[in-house]
Amino acid sequence: MQEVAQIESLVEKILTFSENYPELAKEITTVSRWLFVLLAAYILLIAIVSLLSTRATPEIWGYFMVEDGTNFPITHWENVIGRSRSADLILPVGTVSNNQAILSRHAEGKWLFKDLGSRNGTAVNGYQITSGKKYLIGYGDEIVMGGLHTTIAPPSLEESRNNEVMRRMDKEPVAPWKILLAITLFQLMTIIQLILGMGDDISAGALMSIVILSIVMWAYVMIFKALGRKGFEMEMIAFFMSTINLAVTASSDPEGVVKQLVAILIGLGLMIFMCIYLRDLDRTRKLRPVLIGLSVVLLLVNLLFGTTKYGSTNWLSIGGFSFQPSELVKLAFICVGAGTLEELYDKRNTIMYAAFSLFCLGCLAIMGDFGTALIFFTTYIIVSFLRSGDFSRMVLTLAGAGIMGLMVLRFKPYIASRFAVWGHVWEFADDQGYQQTRTMSFGAGGGLLGLGAGNGSLKYVGASNTDLVFGFVMEEWGFIIAVLLVLCLITLTIFAVMSIVAGRSTFYTICACGAATMFLVQTILNIFGAVDLFPLTGVTFPFVSTGGTSMMTSWAMLAYFKAADMRRKASLAVGREVYHA
Amino acid sequence: MRKQERRAWMCLVLAVVLFGGVALFGFRFVKDGGKWASFYGNSQIYTDGVLNRGEVTDRNGEMLLNLSRDGAEYNNDAYIRMSTVHAVGDPNGNIASGAISIFRSQLIGYDLLNGTYDTSKSGKKISLTIDAKANAAALNALGGRTGAVGVYNWKTGEIMCMVSTPTFDPAYDVPDDGTSYYFNNFLDGAMTPGSIFKLVTAAAVIDNVPDRDSYEFDCDGVNEYSGVDFTDIKSHGELDFRGALAQSCNGAFGELTRKVGSKTMKEYAEKSGLTKAVEFDGIKTAKGSFDFPSDDNVKLSWAGIGQADDLVNPCAMMVYAGAVANGGEATQPTLIKDTSFISEIKDAADLNGGRSMGRYLDKETAAELRSMMKNDVVDNYGEENFPDMDIYAKSGTAQVGTDAPDSWFVGFTDDSDAPYAFVVWVKGGGYGSEAAAPIARTVIQQLKEDN
Repeated sequence: MQEVAQIESLVEKILTFSENYPELAKEITTVSRWLFVLLAAYILLIAIVSLLSTRATPEIWGYFMVEDGTNFPITHWENVIGRSRSADLILPVGTVSNNQAILSRHAEGKWLFKDLGSRNGTAVNGYQITSGKKYLIGYGDEIVMGGLHTTIAPPSLEESRNNEVMRRMDKEPVAPWKILLAITLFQLMTIIQLILGMGDDISAGALMSIVILSIVMWAYVMIFKALGRKGFEMEMIAFFMSTINLAVTASSDPEGVVKQLVAILIGLGLMIFMCIYLRDLDRTRKLRPVLIGLSVVLLLVNLLFGTTKYGSTNWLSIGGFSFQPSELVKLAFICVGAGTLEELYDKRNTIMYAAFSLFCLGCLAIMGDFGTALIFFTTYIIVSFLRSGDFSRMVLTLAGAGIMGLMVLRFKPYIASRFAVWGHVWEFADDQGYQQTRTMSFGAGGGLLGLGAGNGSLKYVGASNTDLVFGFVMEEWGFIIAVLLVLCLITLTIFAVMSIVAGRSTFYTICACGAATMFLVQTILNIFGAVDLFPLTGVTFPFVSTGGTSMMTSWAMLAYFKAADMRRKASLAVGREVYHA
Repeated sequence: MRKQERRAWMCLVLAVVLFGGVALFGFRFVKDGGKWASFYGNSQIYTDGVLNRGEVTDRNGEMLLNLSRDGAEYNNDAYIRMSTVHAVGDPNGNIASGAISIFRSQLIGYDLLNGTYDTSKSGKKISLTIDAKANAAALNALGGRTGAVGVYNWKTGEIMCMVSTPTFDPAYDVPDDGTSYYFNNFLDGAMTPGSIFKLVTAAAVIDNVPDRDSYEFDCDGVNEYSGVDFTDIKSHGELDFRGALAQSCNGAFGELTRKVGSKTMKEYAEKSGLTKAVEFDGIKTAKGSFDFPSDDNVKLSWAGIGQADDLVNPCAMMVYAGAVANGGEATQPTLIKDTSFISEIKDAADLNGGRSMGRYLDKETAAELRSMMKNDVVDNYGEENFPDMDIYAKSGTAQVGTDAPDSWFVGFTDDSDAPYAFVVWVKGGGYGSEAAAPIARTVIQQLKEDN
């Protein structure tokens, strides 16, 4: 508690100073607005450039050798063998099926082989294998597909070494120290600005929360750096956005900042846990039924005991602690939608996913949460598109059509009323367009540099720190920082897509793309809704909006991106055994 | 995995949508940001729809209105409040041409970089060019009558005094239905000019009647023409051109107008800037209007002496008087005092010329008219009535229906410390210079004292 007393005396000192020298205090804000923008640009540009300029060279796990002398390097853990041009190992021979078989890495030197019901079947070492069953094979085993003799060879020592050299030449992720210092400076300046902007309204707890966030950030980086991890850009981005979140919360609801900090810490813990859990693919796959079960229970409990806020019944209160189950289900939704290449060709898995999606969306429809339903639906569409093979395309499309119909029926009146003002909110400035017009007006008042944290007026408008948070940031932090936050999320997406090239399993790929889709759709709905590019749907801006569950989920979601990060020794979510010695 | 690799680009489509949307919004933000920021619901700058920041002062730093989140604060002096309310404006925006309405964007101070953030050290301030004490003196001199008083520096364009009555006290009794109180006669009025318009007719005569020096008119006080009487208050007897203006003889000027003709009269009314709005600082005055028929000599004569359908705006009339003083070139008025450092240096070096609105009169014409206006004062109004002033003027009596006529006094002074053009209009003030001239004198004396 000594720290709190120290903070309180600091607040007092700064307030006395600002009373005695009001012009100088104002000058501090005037100048620091520039510094905030410069620091933010520095922090985010370094992180963004590092993420986008360092890419992993695909590892070669072995060679697929064909009797005619061609041989393919195997760069993924999971490969489709077939005649189709979208196959990973292409055998352009008429007797081979489009998708003949799947070859997936099992352990060092061992591979799993599965025939996908090919027309002419497959024989391994002269034995005709059963389609749909998995067989363990090793290097040198003879695989005959459509009369074509093939085999798998280990990567030669020399190749491995070359590859190793190549990988060593990869640009390493940027060292985190400069960014850490910059964020810390940003946080300290935020504290001073909040005192200047809020005066007596600021609470010591709110300021202390920013200090603790800073300490946790340093501890996190130092611990995992000591454990040999190198890539911290994504976490830096998340810590930076969380700082903005604490400042937004401090300005609008000083008493709520501690709660927000707790959510960040839980989220961070959840992310670390998920990263470590995700290292083991089999373990993760086995978790899915549990996740489905938990999600079903959560959503049902929500339906039965949920409380209504802003027209949708998506809140659950347990012992004074309220949260949004649908936010947590997002995490499960991505994991359930993901699958290994083998699972993507498995009917049961596909039907399971379609059924789970239908259930989730059905629950959201009953809750009346149009925004979240839209997020789930879009994620479902993208993930389905990623998954779709011949059979699953049909199932997934049918399910998609069913969900669409359901949503249209449920949300018809809602959509009609929201769409009525869409595009001309200024004509309804004092009723249905109230929030959007304030967002734009106050946001424009912030200019490019902002009015300074704590100085805004949007905070007196309902949902300003959640649905309208983009306007909140524009007003207090300026348009430039608001746009930089958007660029952060876009960067995460580009990174997720880029990392697929060196991806191990479709499971991680789909997870990363699913998480990126959720972030993007959420951001699109949040921003577009607040500035009248789309009807206001009331969803949160990842990492920036105030709200405990939303913040936790944002952080946890980061684990899916980390799991796709195949840069050498970069990611916490990739076990060391993955890399060759 | 190749299929998934390819299809993952779908995510980027969403990223493009997000980026595109934000870019579109950014474009609107740049284009419409100012409009959005000045929206009445923006509580950064409005409290209950009333602007909540900015200070308006007079030319000497006297606070006239101070807006803050606590409300509006006015000058302590009721006369100053009431005489400057039309120049300052009221926070509710009833006075359309008040400074806080016209210069709202300056008080809001929106720019793209800073938004509405006030980067100034001591808050947004507007210094008006008016002199609060002179305004109060003008209001006092008007003595409760409806009228308008305007004085400006015909060299720099600074409006030194602008008073319109009826007025109200913005600190106490804001009238509910105050249309007439809110109306600024000086800027927005258009009234029958009466004899002051003879200054325009005289200019036309100077340029178009070559034998004007040998012009003679015998005024019998009735001056019948075409069966209509162009009555004067008395018989002026034998008059030359200069005498006709000094005595403001209707008979003589009716005849001179006919000599000039309808086409030329129309041309001169336009050339004098009286038919268009005076535009400055975003303010647009009312326009005057005239009808000089070519087929009705009686009406043409009336129009030439400032009656018939003639209407002038007081501000335009003041600018015209200023143009005569300034050798024919009109200076654009302004209400905003440039308080920049450079401007102060220029002031000290007497380099601050006003912006020209173009040439209203030839130099020679202006010189001759100027001497005739001096003659008016010497011959008619009495120089002793304007102590310590080098004054040039013309009075007017505008007949408006059966009511008492409106009294006008327009002209300028040419003292080195007081290069002022002025216009005074008193509704129902009676004949000639009696009502209006003393007001002009009082205000100019006050201005000389203050500046």
